[in-house]
Amino acid sequence: MARSLKFNIFRYNPQDPESTPHMESFVLEETDSMTLFIVLNRIREEQDPSLQFDFCCRAGICGSCGMVVNGRPSLACHTKTKDLPEEITLLPLPVFQLVGDLSVDTGSWFRELYDTVESWIHTKKAFDPTAKEERMENEVAEAIYELDRCVECGCCVAACGTARLRPDFLGAAGLNRVGRFLIDPRDERTEQDYYQIIGNDMGIFGCMGLLACEDVCPKHMPLQDQLGFLRKKMGITALKSFFTK
Amino acid sequence: MSVPLTANHKSLQCHRWDGVLDWAQMLSGAGLITFMWMHMILVASVVISPSVMNAIAGFFESTGLAQVGGPLIFLLFLAHFVLAARKIPFRLEGQKTIWEHAKLLHHTDTWLWVVQVVSAMIILVMGAIHMWVVLSDLPITALKSAARIQSGAWIFFYLLLLPLVELHVGIGLYRIAVKWGLAGRSDRKGLKRGENLLTLIFITIGVLTLIRFWFLKG
Repeated sequence: MARSLKFNIFRYNPQDPESTPHMESFVLEETDSMTLFIVLNRIREEQDPSLQFDFCCRAGICGSCGMVVNGRPSLACHTKTKDLPEEITLLPLPVFQLVGDLSVDTGSWFRELYDTVESWIHTKKAFDPTAKEERMENEVAEAIYELDRCVECGCCVAACGTARLRPDFLGAAGLNRVGRFLIDPRDERTEQDYYQIIGNDMGIFGCMGLLACEDVCPKHMPLQDQLGFLRKKMGITALKSFFTK
Repeated sequence: MSVPLTANHKSLQCHRWDGVLDWAQMLSGAGLITFMWMHMILVASVVISPSVMNAIAGFFESTGLAQVGGPLIFLLFLAHFVLAARKIPFRLEGQKTIWEHAKLLHHTDTWLWVVQVVSAMIILVMGAIHMWVVLSDLPITALKSAARIQSGAWIFFYLLLLPLVELHVGIGLYRIAVKWGLAGRSDRKGLKRGENLLTLIFITIGVLTLIRFWFLKG
């Protein structure tokens, strides 16, 4: 027999002066292979057309539908109701600016982050559109690709204790982004250049090692290893510059 | 088109000290962990025999390690607190945020951090009291330690301080390993299990030591 699921959903529209933050409950019959994405669409179609949430790809690729599901930041499209109890609480991701209900603005946050960490290949070589692309070792390309799999859903940032305490913390997504360029042979930045960006408490030394980022990442990015690698790398750079200047 | 090597962001100043302080936090913690293990060997030796403990204490005394090392450990203890406190929210707003965050997330490692912080605050006070009492009454002997534990409420003092220190040490060691990439993602589960076991073993040895002191008569 199908379960009857109760969804407690955060409701608030910051654009509406009449609106106040509150929880609202909805009940739905569970269906086969039901995901939270299906649930939210059914609630919007059948019960409350004003419910705000984000989605795009429905396949864990766009990273739009990040939300807090029973306390854990997750992607709604990746979360099956069969893995959840009968009562489910949905909250918007913290840290990011609330658009309304479950919808948050991760885009502006990531835009600012990429500006801060200078998320592009830094090279003095002039780009020649007619030239063949530079070759790199396959293992290097695969390592870069592994770190490029991040879908910028913001779950790691929302789960991070440091990010909750420090609004300027780059979060695992930001540090992972820097790590991606650090191993890219086309990027001419030196370790000192990277140290300028993440060698501080806003960057890698702000990380307290709580590893919630590693545990909630819906793409299972190697964040623990990446943060450890960056701390070692930047720690050695700090010592070098401390003893040479 | 070429792009400048580093743009002139306000936030992109050189922060050499942040890295050095992070090293200092880790190394002071690792130093105190090593000290705590040596400390455990000293006091737990009373379980074997009070004379063994007296011999070890006598060695520390005669080489000047107790007289010089003791105050140095106290300074390291204070330095570690100041370094680690850079990450502790001292304002109520931050404390509420991290508490709500931990309650919501149901995440063991986040709770372990809360345990680390709370235990640190209590250890700061109780550890300072313990060090003052011991270092102002040298030499250390099994009988003097036993007399202290058998008097007043000291047994309760140590029954509280012992698990707090062992928890703090265990979590700290685990945290250093994962933060500094000494343990990879595949080692984390085993590391945590090992740490829990080690903490439990040390608490058990500590309780046995306290029991021995409780029944040790002059």
